[in-house]
Amino acid sequence: MRTRRAVTDRLFWGFCFLAFALIAAPSVSMLISVAHQAAPAVGWSLFSQTTKGIGIQNAILGTLLLLLGVLIVAGTIGVAAGVYLAEFASGRSEKVLRFFSEVLAGMPSIVIGYIGYITLVVQFHWGYSLLAAVIALSVLVMPYIVKTTEVALRQVPSVLREGAAGLGMPRYSTLGRILVPTALPAITSGLIVALAISTGELAPLLFTAGFSDHNPRLQLFHQQVPYLTNVIFTDLALPGKRPHATSAAAALVSLVILIVLIVAGRIVAGRARRNTARMSL
Amino acid sequence: MASVLEERREPAVAPSLSARSRRRSELTGPDRALGAALTVAGLIPTLALAFLAYQMVKEAYPAIIFNGWHFFTSKTFTIGNLYAPIQHKRGYAAPHGASYGVLPLLVGTLLSSVFALILAVPVSVAGAILLVEKLPQRIQGTLGIFLELLAGIPSVVFGLWGVYTFGPLLSRTVYKWVDSLGIPWLSGHTGAGEGLATASVVLAVMIIPIIASITRELVRSVPTVAKEGAVALGLTPSETVRYVTIPYVRTGIIAAAVLGWARALGETIAVLIISGNALNIYPHSIFAPFSTMAATIAAFLDSALTDPTGMAVHALAQVGLVLLAVTILTNFGGRLLTRRFADQALPVGRGV
Amino acid sequence: MSEQTTSAVTESQARRPEVTTVGPPVPAEMENPVFVVENLDFYYGSHQALRGVNMKIGRNEITALIGPSGCGKTTFLRCLNRLNDLIAGTRVRGRIDFAGKPIYDPSLAAIELRRRIGMVFQKPNPFPKSIYDNIAIAPKVNGMKVNMDDLVEECLTRAALWDEVKGKLKASAFSLSGGQQQRLCIARAIAVKPEVILMDEPASALDPLATIRIEDLMSELKKDYTIVVVTHNMQQAARVSDRTAFFNVDDSQGVRTGVLVEMGTTHQIFTSPTDQRTDDYITGRFG
Repeated sequence: MRTRRAVTDRLFWGFCFLAFALIAAPSVSMLISVAHQAAPAVGWSLFSQTTKGIGIQNAILGTLLLLLGVLIVAGTIGVAAGVYLAEFASGRSEKVLRFFSEVLAGMPSIVIGYIGYITLVVQFHWGYSLLAAVIALSVLVMPYIVKTTEVALRQVPSVLREGAAGLGMPRYSTLGRILVPTALPAITSGLIVALAISTGELAPLLFTAGFSDHNPRLQLFHQQVPYLTNVIFTDLALPGKRPHATSAAAALVSLVILIVLIVAGRIVAGRARRNTARMSL
Repeated sequence: MASVLEERREPAVAPSLSARSRRRSELTGPDRALGAALTVAGLIPTLALAFLAYQMVKEAYPAIIFNGWHFFTSKTFTIGNLYAPIQHKRGYAAPHGASYGVLPLLVGTLLSSVFALILAVPVSVAGAILLVEKLPQRIQGTLGIFLELLAGIPSVVFGLWGVYTFGPLLSRTVYKWVDSLGIPWLSGHTGAGEGLATASVVLAVMIIPIIASITRELVRSVPTVAKEGAVALGLTPSETVRYVTIPYVRTGIIAAAVLGWARALGETIAVLIISGNALNIYPHSIFAPFSTMAATIAAFLDSALTDPTGMAVHALAQVGLVLLAVTILTNFGGRLLTRRFADQALPVGRGV
Repeated sequence: MSEQTTSAVTESQARRPEVTTVGPPVPAEMENPVFVVENLDFYYGSHQALRGVNMKIGRNEITALIGPSGCGKTTFLRCLNRLNDLIAGTRVRGRIDFAGKPIYDPSLAAIELRRRIGMVFQKPNPFPKSIYDNIAIAPKVNGMKVNMDDLVEECLTRAALWDEVKGKLKASAFSLSGGQQQRLCIARAIAVKPEVILMDEPASALDPLATIRIEDLMSELKKDYTIVVVTHNMQQAARVSDRTAFFNVDDSQGVRTGVLVEMGTTHQIFTSPTDQRTDDYITGRFG
């Protein structure tokens, strides 16, 4: 009996180890595979030339521009909506708004891309443009920012709210000087994850951003925007070794951006944890 | 004593402030202005959802009328012959030979996402349990990076990896072996690894980080006292997991699985690259090429735009509407399920 | 029989905390009270937490609110600065006058009231900011035109914390010990020049030495402020307060509700309470 239980225990943890290996292996395999395929294209020309030549400078700049746009649009609205849900809304309106925000989070990205195309690009006559792309991406990641902001604020101990109220501080200064600064690391780490998601998206951009072999310009309408995931996708389908390597190189660059964002997010999230740990003194 | 109290209850005015006016007196002028601005922001996600839903229905409407029930009974999705005379049906025009049938796409979407879920849930849960229960704190953080990396990898990179590296590998090894067993529907031409099986596995890899990272947080939140109670009763670590940890986090795992499922249902680009893009047929084996609703929208939109009647674009909107409905239904189903399981909560008492 | 009674009395006398309040004893009758509370009822949703409380709180006195857990003494304290308004679903009936004006009045801004009535909480709750900013933030927000450095020094000195922190004002408030944090919270409360300081078991999370320091500080602050303190610790009430109010749980009407049993000078409550329940509580027979 005893031995059978011990054996079961061993088997169980063996299965867990296997499962863990199955989780870790793909990311390792993917990194190696992408790096291997990208190797022929990696060089200074990758960054100094646009896709008209043998580089992807325009796509890198375009992706960074899109991230900036998402930070401005989805960041502002998402954080504000999260603050509203956590600190101002009450009763039924709070429940309803949170519910719909969660439904929006489950919206398939291709549906967002489709509507973005039909309305923003065609009906509004914006054409393939920076603004259409930024709005499509923002709708995709906004619910995520709303959620993380709300949770971050709810984790601020209520004794701080009461402490500020007890000093006669009005709500807006309590928010601006105490609650938001305290929750800032957690909010920031949510924003960083939203940027990571945006870096990897293609479906909402495919029919809103367009593509261009030139570097992107700061123009909201009628100016197509090149971006990395598009290079990965389209060059993959082109014949020949060179486009294939370019495609993989674009994938490699977006993975690097991703890793930078993850590391930044971890540093910030670590600060958030320390903040909360200290406050539950 | 009571009478003394009664006596002291003099007709002192009792200005009982309503909750509303008490709330109001909490807020200063700037507070109200800020509150109003934030309310607008708080409405935006809901308005965006309403706008998307409205546009979707509006776009799909001509196709809904034109297709009738045909949409759900037909196997064929083609935008028709753009150079032949135009056909008319129920007041709407479409190219000759156009047929919009969602059925194989619906089947493909459901099959691939359910297979992905079946593969992903046990692996994610087991991996998360190992991460929290067996590995030292220092390593946990480092290994957690794998989860975050996996969660953030662009789906087109998954596609790239699936079609050039992983698919062929599976095809040479696992598929060959499964094929040799000769089980109906589990054997067939394995090809270069494009098709339902590889798409499901890649989808599973894509949703593992979602399920695993939520499970990890859940397992971390299981109170130590509950686990210590089980250990004190002489349970082995795996029995503790089975009788304490799993019951404790079950509701959360269901919620996480639903989230992962929704992601798998809507995944577009990776499936588009790996599926083999078979149209108008049901997958005749697990290795067969197929397609999903999301991938079809992405694949067809360009050519649909060349349809002078515009019906092809409307039909794609209708496909999107079905996808949306399926996604929202799983979401609701998940909510109901978690609520039902949550009712029989307090699992601590049972295990310990 | 009579011998037994005598011995019981001596025994209970022996258990009574000794009243050692600093300063001259207060008169039994109160002139010019700061708070006048009449017929206060308080509800959390449908649960009534306080019933028919009538009380006067004297200026520049320390009033201690004592009683067993769940008797509503903290709820009562939080009614005095309308802090309970922050909790959804609460209701108040009755009247509280502060400095002659009703505080539950639609025209009165709750935050203005709270600025005049400071509060110190059970657990030290400094803001996650520097020691300096913890004190400076509320005066700044309230637009007080003062030299901030002077104000910070003054408040920290009054809170008997200046000597310990003057070299590290920019350090995080969390770098202080629990007792220091609580004194910082007191300094923070007096920085907005309140008239009253409410204290909700200010020493319950602290060690005995830190507790003594807080009590000394309260006696010191009494000169300029009216202090209302909730305490579980009867010795503490006997040591620092001028008047004591005893709250109890009352279930005579079928539901458990907090009531004020009696109030008097601390000397009177601890030596000759008029109500048997008070006597039972302070001699440790229950609670």
